Amino acid sequence: MNNNGSLVVKTSNLTKHFGKTLAVDDLNIEVYRGEVFGFLGPNGSGKSTTLGMMLGLITPTSGRVELFGHDVQKELPRILEKTGAVTESIGFYPYLSGKENLEYISKITRGINSSRIREVLDLVELSGRENDKFSNYSLGMKQRLAIACALLNDPEFLLLDEPTNGLDPAGMKEIRQLIIKLGHEGKTIFLNSHLLHEIEQVCNRVAILKKGRVVIQGLTDKLMNKGNVLQIRVTEPDKAMNALQNVNWIDSITREEDKLLLGVKADKYAEISRILAEEHVFLTEMKAAENKLEDYFLKMTDEGKNA
Amino acid sequence: MLDMIRGELFKLRKRNLTWILAVVLAAYFCLIFFATYGIVSNPPGRMPAEVIEHIKASLQFPKAANLIFHTANNIGIILLIILTASSIGSEYGWGSIRQILTRNGTRHNLVFSKLISLLIITFIGLVISVIVGFILTVITSALLNTIGWDFVTAAFLQEQLQNFGWTLYSLLPYILLTAFFAFLGRSAIAGIGGGLGFFFVEAIAVGIFNQAGGWLAKIPNYLIGPNVEAIIPESVFAQGPFSFNGEPLSALHSSITIAVYCIALVLISLWLFKKRDLTA
Repeated sequence: MNNNGSLVVKTSNLTKHFGKTLAVDDLNIEVYRGEVFGFLGPNGSGKSTTLGMMLGLITPTSGRVELFGHDVQKELPRILEKTGAVTESIGFYPYLSGKENLEYISKITRGINSSRIREVLDLVELSGRENDKFSNYSLGMKQRLAIACALLNDPEFLLLDEPTNGLDPAGMKEIRQLIIKLGHEGKTIFLNSHLLHEIEQVCNRVAILKKGRVVIQGLTDKLMNKGNVLQIRVTEPDKAMNALQNVNWIDSITREEDKLLLGVKADKYAEISRILAEEHVFLTEMKAAENKLEDYFLKMTDEGKNA
Repeated sequence: MLDMIRGELFKLRKRNLTWILAVVLAAYFCLIFFATYGIVSNPPGRMPAEVIEHIKASLQFPKAANLIFHTANNIGIILLIILTASSIGSEYGWGSIRQILTRNGTRHNLVFSKLISLLIITFIGLVISVIVGFILTVITSALLNTIGWDFVTAAFLQEQLQNFGWTLYSLLPYILLTAFFAFLGRSAIAGIGGGLGFFFVEAIAVGIFNQAGGWLAKIPNYLIGPNVEAIIPESVFAQGPFSFNGEPLSALHSSITIAVYCIALVLISLWLFKKRDLTA
């Protein structure tokens, strides 16, 4: 996966100042072909500015962005042929219908025929409402039209800026399922979001942004620490604590009321069960605990302090 | 670029504002022609007979051609300021400018496609003006019992073709000026305010400079309004409150001055649009 041929996005020391405000600070990220990459951060952390720089809408103060190995500042039209984007503000013409908006976009984008408009309208389930004026669309329909528009040129790379913003839970679920489906089809997706569970559900890899700086990036599963923490409930927690305390292959033991969290690898689960049984302590529950990305996010961005 | 121009024309065609402005254009022509007919058919008591004859002539060919082009210029400036400002400024308001640029990243293409499509609309507007003006002239001539076609000569048609070109050219600086203000203020209001504001403030300034005399009276020679007035056909209503009363300007001087303004406005608009970030 980590070879330059499959590199879709590469930012090198990317920095953006708006006057005295530092919006993006020395950003270095890489996104590989086929990944659904989550760009997670609180509001105002520089996510949309980064996306704007990737699309050539915002000029970096220093550093550079490369998409498909091409410099955004120099070869933008070539890059945009393979890219689709949903930007933060949904930019359509209120006096045109949904279909007419897509027709206009197809006029200014090469190689799109009318059958493709029908396909993307079907994909986002706007067929039947395509002749309604855009101004009469609900927020969910507007978001879906924006996604349809981003998919018009069947792009290899999709940039999505808060695509579920303002949607009801059902609408959010639909959009997430669509993103997952597109990811499975092999599209590379860069998803800007401040919604942790969205990133957890959808993304393979994630970067957490704080005040314009990436504080951590890695595989979502790894950051969630899946498989390395065992959560158990037992008949006698005190006795269980005593029995497990001196076992040298248990990295950590944390007690939360009747629940014990053990830092062990998955191949030791049976051994734990045996040790407890020998002490006549019986398991009522045993499962791999997930270090929720939310905890990580709050820890890394200090958001929890204000909560 | 052609795709972008086609896209711009598609949007302008689908927009109600374009059609409303076309109706206003036709209504304004009706108002001018029928109000003028009202004056000549029922003239105020103290109006000299030669003035009445002069106005009457302006409602009949060949003189009516001047009235048509002069009217098209007068109302055209206002309508084009509104259309240009909303065509460019609304893109910022709706956020669609970001949508366009994520499709076609070359910013100069967007600027030129906007300006060229507005020029095409201006051309169509001028054709509509000529058609409406022609019909109204036929009607007023019939009402005055002076209808006749012997004025139609090759020389007359050639002259009107030139007048058409000059009128089209005279509207260009106002389109570009409004476009500049819309790009500068990133809104339709900025475009309308800037365009109309310049139009009226310049007219007042011209009056003040003319009154001041000396070298100050030369300044209007290099402003837009007096040069536009110098190239459009003279009409019976040319002596309005904002008319230029200075020394006559040659067509060459005026066309060069207007060209300098046009080039400067396009270059500044391009530079401004290219330089600035497009944040949400």
